[in-house]
Amino acid sequence: MVIWIILLAMTAAAVMAVLWPLSRHYAVSGQADPNTQFYREQIDEIERDRERGVLLPNEAEAAKAEAGRRLLRATGMEDVAVAVGEPALRRRRAASTLALSVLPILAIAIYGAYGSPHLLGQPPVMAARGPATPSDLATAISQIESHLAQNPQDGRGWEVIAPVYVRMGRMGDAVKAYEAALRHLGPDANRLANYGEAMVLAKDGLVSSEAQGIFEQAVKLDGTSPKARFYLARAAEQDGQIDKAKAGYAALLAGSPADAPWTAVVEEQLARLEGPQTVSRQDAEPQMGADDILRMVSGLASRLEAQGGSADEWARLMRSYAVLGQRDKAADAAQRARQALAQDDAGLKTIDMMARELKLTDAQP
Amino acid sequence: MLVEAGHFALALALGLSLIQFLVPLWGARTNDPVLMSVGPSTALAVLACLAFAFLALTVAYVTSDFSVLNVVENSHSAKPLIYKISGVWGNHEGSMLLWVLILALFGAVVALAKSSVPVRLQANTLAVQAAITIAFLLFILMTSNPFVRVVPAPVEGQDLNPLLQDLGLAIHPPLLYIGYVGFSISFAFACAALIDGRIDAVWARIVRPWTLGAWAFLTLGIAMGSYWAYYELGWGGWWFWDPVENASLMPWLAGTALLHSTVVMEKRDALKVWTILLAILTFSLSLLGTFLVRSGVLTSVHSFAVDPERGSFILGILTIFIGGSLALFAWRAPLLKQGGIFAPVSREGALVLNNLFIATACATVFIGTLYPLALEVLTGDKISVGAPFFNFTFLPLVIPLLMLLPFGQTLAWKRGNFLGTAQRLYAVFGVVIVATLVMLAFTAGGPVGAPLGIGLGAFLVLGSLNEIVTRSWSRGSPLSVTWRKARNLPRSAWGTALAHAGVGVTVIGIAATAWDLEGMDTLKIGDRISAGPYTVRLERVVPRQEANFREDVVTLRVFRNGNEIGMVDTMKRLYVTRGMPTTEAGIVTIGLSQIYASVGEVRPDGSIGLTLYYKPLVLLIWLGAVVMAAGGALSLTDRRLRIAAPAPARSIPVASVPAE
Amino acid sequence: MTRKQRRLTLIGVAGCILAIALGLVLYAMNDTIVFFNSPADVQAKNVQPGTRFRLGGLVKEGSVQRGDNQQVAFEIMDGQGSIRVNYTGMLPDLFREGQGVIAEGALEHSGVFRADSVLAKHDENYMPREVADTLRRQGLWQGDSKASQQTQ
Repeated sequence: MVIWIILLAMTAAAVMAVLWPLSRHYAVSGQADPNTQFYREQIDEIERDRERGVLLPNEAEAAKAEAGRRLLRATGMEDVAVAVGEPALRRRRAASTLALSVLPILAIAIYGAYGSPHLLGQPPVMAARGPATPSDLATAISQIESHLAQNPQDGRGWEVIAPVYVRMGRMGDAVKAYEAALRHLGPDANRLANYGEAMVLAKDGLVSSEAQGIFEQAVKLDGTSPKARFYLARAAEQDGQIDKAKAGYAALLAGSPADAPWTAVVEEQLARLEGPQTVSRQDAEPQMGADDILRMVSGLASRLEAQGGSADEWARLMRSYAVLGQRDKAADAAQRARQALAQDDAGLKTIDMMARELKLTDAQP
Repeated sequence: MLVEAGHFALALALGLSLIQFLVPLWGARTNDPVLMSVGPSTALAVLACLAFAFLALTVAYVTSDFSVLNVVENSHSAKPLIYKISGVWGNHEGSMLLWVLILALFGAVVALAKSSVPVRLQANTLAVQAAITIAFLLFILMTSNPFVRVVPAPVEGQDLNPLLQDLGLAIHPPLLYIGYVGFSISFAFACAALIDGRIDAVWARIVRPWTLGAWAFLTLGIAMGSYWAYYELGWGGWWFWDPVENASLMPWLAGTALLHSTVVMEKRDALKVWTILLAILTFSLSLLGTFLVRSGVLTSVHSFAVDPERGSFILGILTIFIGGSLALFAWRAPLLKQGGIFAPVSREGALVLNNLFIATACATVFIGTLYPLALEVLTGDKISVGAPFFNFTFLPLVIPLLMLLPFGQTLAWKRGNFLGTAQRLYAVFGVVIVATLVMLAFTAGGPVGAPLGIGLGAFLVLGSLNEIVTRSWSRGSPLSVTWRKARNLPRSAWGTALAHAGVGVTVIGIAATAWDLEGMDTLKIGDRISAGPYTVRLERVVPRQEANFREDVVTLRVFRNGNEIGMVDTMKRLYVTRGMPTTEAGIVTIGLSQIYASVGEVRPDGSIGLTLYYKPLVLLIWLGAVVMAAGGALSLTDRRLRIAAPAPARSIPVASVPAE
Repeated sequence: MTRKQRRLTLIGVAGCILAIALGLVLYAMNDTIVFFNSPADVQAKNVQPGTRFRLGGLVKEGSVQRGDNQQVAFEIMDGQGSIRVNYTGMLPDLFREGQGVIAEGALEHSGVFRADSVLAKHDENYMPREVADTLRRQGLWQGDSKASQQTQ
């Protein structure tokens, strides 16, 4: 409430700043016209200089003549005639109305559009927060950070701060922290899975092949790790291997207790995959929704584009395009695959074989 | 709460500026003194609002109020207090707020100058100035609002770019802005004169302090930026012809020309139209500088964010003000009474020549800076126009200007005599020629540019000194008379001499860079590296932890011709929050020269890559700029620049205007 | 001198200075301007050895080799190829593998690029603009995917 009174007072003061000069009677008397004043001062100065001998008499005469000419030109250009009478009063009233209406309306409209007045009702949270409060989370974090900066080999510390970063949305920092924790504490299924998850979150949900590798490593260490298995299933889904994904999710569900916190999420994923476009068996690809296929293919393409991939993945992309009838794109993919796999003889062979199979002869370099 | 009140004050300032724009303009049109008197009082109110808004933001920074997005993005609770405060303008939003605050401050000064400025001119000027304020306030509110809140507030901020966590850079932007914005007042006066259709020596007298002050601050700001780049980037260079540097150089050049043309206008009532045009161009170039730097068209450390919306908004402001003022110029300038024309060989003739050279040099910088942008838009080709282009085009225009400067300075007003002038300078000329030849002989085999450039610089310094001496001393007059005469010279004459001498000092510093020496090596503890007569030995490499960064401190022992003269540290820093490394150069100042050590990489085995420069007389570059600014300031204190102020009873009157 | 003569003198002097400046600018335009090329451009345009240009791209991971006396060799790559770069001197603070850089110099006959200056970004949000454009065109870089903050 106090704030509204303050804003009101500010507005009132601003309006007053406009109204005050309008209400005053304009005093002309005693104010010399600066135009002529300037030259008068000049002439006086020349006179003084001559008396002190700084200027020779003839120099002073010439200077005075020049200044006098200018003074003559400047007089009669009186700036201001005091305006009185009806039109002046009307103008004054118009200006006052303008100030009284435009100022509050504009200020409140602008503030309403860009300000956060609803935050005003809340107690000033910030008052309690400051660098001096030791219990403050911010201070705690910066303390841990500076501790870690001094002792970068403290893997425990990294492991503590990493999930905090995740919660704060600083995914890049989280990835780095988990990396450091792994380096100093050694691999462990849980840690690997968390690391992978941070990588996925940092890429806005995309399971990169790097992250996939991490999850695979985690599963190798602990076959039951739910997080790793979940993301592996998702990776399969993003690669377009729907069946593998479904199998992954189903196995995860089967292997976890019914009241596990992730059950709901996994079931949801599974339900989504088995949604309306559910098809009977694996050879049913052509019957799948065309949108789904396009989505999968473009997902794969952009992933290969961004991060590269194995020869098999490139081959899969080529085949997908060919199946969709986009032979030019298939040829294009072949060309790009050859560039990406230039060092990989076996990979090149795979690509060549696929190109032959798809009769993409025009794609030969 | 304070933040919201600050935000509201910003909105209120916009409304007040609108009134400050409309009412005085209307008053001037109808010749109504009451309406015109609304201008000054609203200008003061705008200043109060903006000062309050700026204060609110500063408080948010100092108390680390992370509910403000701007504070989150640019501050950190572990940051030292001074950088919390400088962080207010160390980012795009805050710096724009500072920009309008300075604008309002200057507007208020114009508003308070009641007795010296004709009322109509003042009203129109305040209106034009309010128009600029409106444009920038809209820009701030709509695209760069520093008061945007974050809910829920993050617990820690993202820290200020470490390169900007530096004392030099904390004061560099305010200096530049005072310069830029000072030119906006000259611009407002020019537009006001056009609106009024009247311009005379009084106008020049009123505008000159603004131009002079803005120019002095811009000079300091550019010098500060250059020195910052020199010691902070760790490359040992002091001017890179970087577009962002050019963006501040162009208004400086145009402002320098404006400064000189106002003198002609004030003393001789001539060059009116050209002066008006220059005032418009100078501020246009300031705006262009702001656009280039802030829009992200040029990426550099100054471009805080690349945001096309902001870019197009500033481009809009640019188009409206430059286009509008030039249209106003085209429409109204023919109505202005033409001034007299004058003899080519005279002080005013020399000043015209100065204007021609400087304006042309400014144009070449303009072309070099904008040509790559234009080419990319037109053809898609990406090119870079670097130092070679500017050295090739800018220097051939500036060097003749500097060589003619002492002559122009010595010429008399109205009709000068070139031979007489040359006679007054022959002693200086002879000394400089002999000194240059001696230097050439002693440094035979070295770069020729250095002695020649130093000769030129010495000519400028001695020429300025000569000007003071010949004006106060005549053959046979006793020392006391000379002293009295020298003291009685107008302060502006001293200021002129000082500023021109400052140019000479900078020229000497620049020329001496041709003698720079450098050495580069990978060193282990105990290894040495040399540059010229100086040698450094690597003593130790020690890691250190500070509040918001950690660093490797490389300690070097410095020897000159084998004798130890001291120790110096150079650092490789890592700012933890941003994960950003920086280099802190180690600098030993010996007289006016410096030894500059910069560490490249710290290897795991403890050896370091080090570059060592010996830079003779390098400090003169910036010292000259300070002298120039001091000359400007001295000129500014000249009583004759303030018109209706009554003379203090015991002051010594100074020479009159036309006969100086 | 008459008024007219004075005016003509002024115009003449102004014309002379402008002509000189124009000549200098045109000459310098031919001589001192440096083009920006990515490794792909170098192949496509068949840039001749000895021509100065700016080479921009990403520093290839694992390609940086540091020698004595601050000699550095690395590869600058883009989506279509990479070019080996030799350089002696101070590298910018933010020079890292995988980062965008610009090197200025010329190609040698061996196909190695000899750089006399290397520029990297000033801060961690900055990618040299030319490099960013090229990479964006080639789809290698999506820009900073910063977690968007919830604002009012």
